[in-house]
Amino acid sequence: MASILETRDLKKYFATQKAVDNISLSVAQGSIFGLLGPNGAGKTTLIRMITGIFYPDSGEILFDGKKFDPLNDVAKIGYMPEERGLYKKMKIGEQTLYLAQLKGLNRKDATKKVKEWFIKFGMESWWNKKVEDLSKGMSQKLQFVTTVLHNPKLIILDEPFSGLDPVNSNLIKDEIFNLAKNGSTIIFSTHRMEQVEEICNQIVLVNKGQKILDGEIKNLKQQFKENLYSIGASAIPETNGSAPFEVSNTMNDETVIKINDGKSTNDVLQYLLQQGVVIHSFNEVLPSLNDIFIKVVEGTAHARQFQEIKD
Amino acid sequence: MNKIRLIIGREYLTRIRKKTFILSTVLFPLLYLGLILGTGYITAKSGRKMHVAVIDSSGYFTKAKIDSLNLLDSSSRLSLVTASASSLESGLEKSGYDGFIVVPATVAWDKPLPFLKLNTTHTMSMEGTAPVQSKINALWMSIKNEKLGIDAEKKRILEQNNIIIVPENIKDRKANSGVATAIGSVSAILIYIILLLYGSQVMMGVMEEKTNRIAEVIVSSVKPFQLMLGKILGIGLVCLTQILLWIFFILIIYNVTKLTGKADAMSSVVGGIQDVFTSSNMPLILSCFVFYLLGGFFFYASLFAAVGSAVNEDMREAQSLSFPLMMPIIFSVAMMTAVLKDPTGSLAFWGSIIPFSSPIIMMVRLPFGVPGTVPWWQLGLSMSLLIAGFIFTTWFAGKIYRTGILMYGKKPSWKEIIKWAFRKN
Repeated sequence: MASILETRDLKKYFATQKAVDNISLSVAQGSIFGLLGPNGAGKTTLIRMITGIFYPDSGEILFDGKKFDPLNDVAKIGYMPEERGLYKKMKIGEQTLYLAQLKGLNRKDATKKVKEWFIKFGMESWWNKKVEDLSKGMSQKLQFVTTVLHNPKLIILDEPFSGLDPVNSNLIKDEIFNLAKNGSTIIFSTHRMEQVEEICNQIVLVNKGQKILDGEIKNLKQQFKENLYSIGASAIPETNGSAPFEVSNTMNDETVIKINDGKSTNDVLQYLLQQGVVIHSFNEVLPSLNDIFIKVVEGTAHARQFQEIKD
Repeated sequence: MNKIRLIIGREYLTRIRKKTFILSTVLFPLLYLGLILGTGYITAKSGRKMHVAVIDSSGYFTKAKIDSLNLLDSSSRLSLVTASASSLESGLEKSGYDGFIVVPATVAWDKPLPFLKLNTTHTMSMEGTAPVQSKINALWMSIKNEKLGIDAEKKRILEQNNIIIVPENIKDRKANSGVATAIGSVSAILIYIILLLYGSQVMMGVMEEKTNRIAEVIVSSVKPFQLMLGKILGIGLVCLTQILLWIFFILIIYNVTKLTGKADAMSSVVGGIQDVFTSSNMPLILSCFVFYLLGGFFFYASLFAAVGSAVNEDMREAQSLSFPLMMPIIFSVAMMTAVLKDPTGSLAFWGSIIPFSSPIIMMVRLPFGVPGTVPWWQLGLSMSLLIAGFIFTTWFAGKIYRTGILMYGKKPSWKEIIKWAFRKN
């Protein structure tokens, strides 16, 4: 599939940090793409380069197959930063119109779009209210609307669910799927793994400014699996040297085993059947994204250290 | 450029519609007028008349002389008493006098009398004792006149000998230094107030965007420089609107009072305005005023924007960082008196050329006459330097702003801020 966004050897150094260090990635059109990484990994800096806020020190950004031209292409991007907000004293309708016009819509189109979205999210009565009258969840919804209003090809959401209750989270989540179905591409930046697993097709994991993982979630899970299986059975006999597996964890009726190198699932089943064990279930245990994340990031210091950068 | 227009529109409209704008536009001239009229009224009314007892041991100060002088000048009252100094001193509060003066017996009419002590129960300022002093002097003069045999006619002839120096610029005979001083100081003070007021408005506006966390949302649609420029231009327009409204008010008041022709306090102010309007250089001064007002605003506003972008929500940080910006503005006003005294001196020249002070100092000098006091080349140089200056500060501030607006955390030092300005992208 064609990629809407591609970066090649993107680099951005600050005075004391290699914020983004040689990151190349490719985001397929219409996909929901997860950009993951611990705090301070360089996600925000990377996003700021993609949205034209920062210029990269070196490297290339291709947007929709052409060299990224911040001046014109930003109109095709919708960005909801993690540090987000709205003018507190400005009326909501007026403010939404203003932000839409800054994205290049003319007043007439902007008014039409704003009204559509306000009806969709049940916000019609907000028009003449001020942002300071809204609760945190409400203003988050409004912020989401202002981000996607101009029908951008690429939508970048940085921690979009922070501060939202489950009902509003689901509303936004459904809308994300909807937008992707209608051809928009979504880059979703977070460190909340369960959400990524639920929403994204493809992820990139960055740490210390470098890309350390890249691929589809199901492939990554295969790549990081540790031959773990969960068995639901009457009772697992004590294992000795002759068993083709080791028990790694037991919980109620479920036992998690790790198959020894060189043995297959059939060897395990054969062994258990010979022992007269009654088996109810036998499933492969794939690592969660959280496990993968922790495994990959583990060992690096909890907080990024400052370092000297020599040009 | 369409986007800058949008930003200007938002900045302008949200500010114009605020109640504070309407209130300050209407109230400021009223307050200003009230202040001028009010202080005049208060000083006229509150001056308490001192009643001073005079104990004369020399025999020069007679009751007749004192009484006739009390009739002529009622700003204070003198009474000749015969009580002893010590009895007055112990019972001054009960005696009904505010103080007493003892004229010693050693005083001679043809010898200098450098001072007399005014004994009071509280410490008095020079201003408070001035009416008593002038009265005692008049009394002393009439005593000397009598001894010298100078009668009223001779006295009149003597007093004709008072020459007033009237400055007239031979290159510009119409220039009126009284009116020039008035226009110069009023426009300088006005520019001073507006620079500080609107400069800090720009700073607060930028801080608002940063603390509301809307800055990053906006700069993903427009360039930071466009956002900064839009804000400065929008607020500049608000400032211009306010000034034009004030000029409009003044014209209305002027015309209304001219029609009714009342000789009250208001029309004396109007009379002053009339002097100003008929002064020959008015169109030039007015257009220079608008130029220096806007030029000064643009020169400083972008720097204020840079400071606003560098600080976080803490007002104290903003104050300490904006202090170096306010210094030259305050300093210019402090130089005003010296420049008024000598509008062609080197302080006046340099002050009106350097863009940091030229918006204020040049406006002090201009009413004294162009090209009499300010040659055309100086005006041209000052204007072009101010334009070059604000292009530079806008560029410089833009670089700081771009980094600062997205930077949260600890307050940067000036050294770091300067570093932001000279960093490549």
